[in-house]
Amino acid sequence: MNERDDTFDKKLKATFDASVEELDAATLSRLNRSRHMALAELQRPRHQWSRWMPATGVAAAAVVAVMVLQSPTAVNDLPATAIVTDMEILLGEDSIEMLEDLEFYSWIDSAEMEGDVG
Amino acid sequence: MDVSTAVFAVSCPGTPITGARALQKEQQLNQFLAEVERRALRIAEIGVRDRDEAMDLVQDAMIKLVRNYSERGREEWAPLFYRILQNGVRDWHRRQAVRNRVMVWFGRKSSDDNDYDAIAAAPDPSGRAPDEELQNSEAMQRLEAAVYELPARQREAFMLRAFEGLNVAGTAVAMGCSEGSVKTHYSRAVHSLRATLEDHRPEDYGPGGFNR
Repeated sequence: MNERDDTFDKKLKATFDASVEELDAATLSRLNRSRHMALAELQRPRHQWSRWMPATGVAAAAVVAVMVLQSPTAVNDLPATAIVTDMEILLGEDSIEMLEDLEFYSWIDSAEMEGDVG
Repeated sequence: MDVSTAVFAVSCPGTPITGARALQKEQQLNQFLAEVERRALRIAEIGVRDRDEAMDLVQDAMIKLVRNYSERGREEWAPLFYRILQNGVRDWHRRQAVRNRVMVWFGRKSSDDNDYDAIAAAPDPSGRAPDEELQNSEAMQRLEAAVYELPARQREAFMLRAFEGLNVAGTAVAMGCSEGSVKTHYSRAVHSLRATLEDHRPEDYGPGGFNR
């Protein structure tokens, strides 16, 4: 890297550092809480059954995964690697939030349909 | 607790460390996390363009570091922490892609990256003069947008090297690639950013300007 790049690099770093210094108090407080939550892990046993995903969540995620992956419209043109990736994500613990969203959208759809009829 | 108990507690897998060593480890981790947390949040925020999501990713990275790597040496924590964080950012993008496909299947519009409100996401003022604050905020918004547009690996290399200050070896560990790849990604990132940001007037970037 030449001197010109180095100077440019320092300018960008200074701009970034300024944005870090300007983080507001609420954000800093949330970071502080997150840090202490993480440090509490030191006091916990390494393996806990409570961390395991509930069986019903796994089952629900699996059902949605099969529904989506068998869809004739949505994913048939995807490569096999993408489908495997989708399955991994749909069967992961974070998919619960996605399923909750879907439940919410389903409720909105039903409410909208009732509104159309009425 | 006597010494033999403390030694057993530390050496037994699945059991939390206890005693003076545990206190020292906690202090070291607390210091390390306090040092990196703010920069990590901004780096994650640039990666996902959402502060709340970035906060979750940073918290997750903190927990995983403490849970899995607290026994590693202090010098290893930064590359490991950022490796966890970058993996989190990558997984976040993968989940967004899958979520969008699922939403399409259910007849919902996919989420749109373009709804990012850079002004709303900008940091709050912290005592600077309004003009200076505005200049810095605008400069950061342009910088964020330019960094976000980089290819993912270039973005990672640039943020870890330039923003976090990891050396080439540490960046290679954090990115899970060779040092040569880090140098290549970083060099390309800097040249792309220069080409993008130097199109703007110097006065857009505060007193110094990016291209002076």
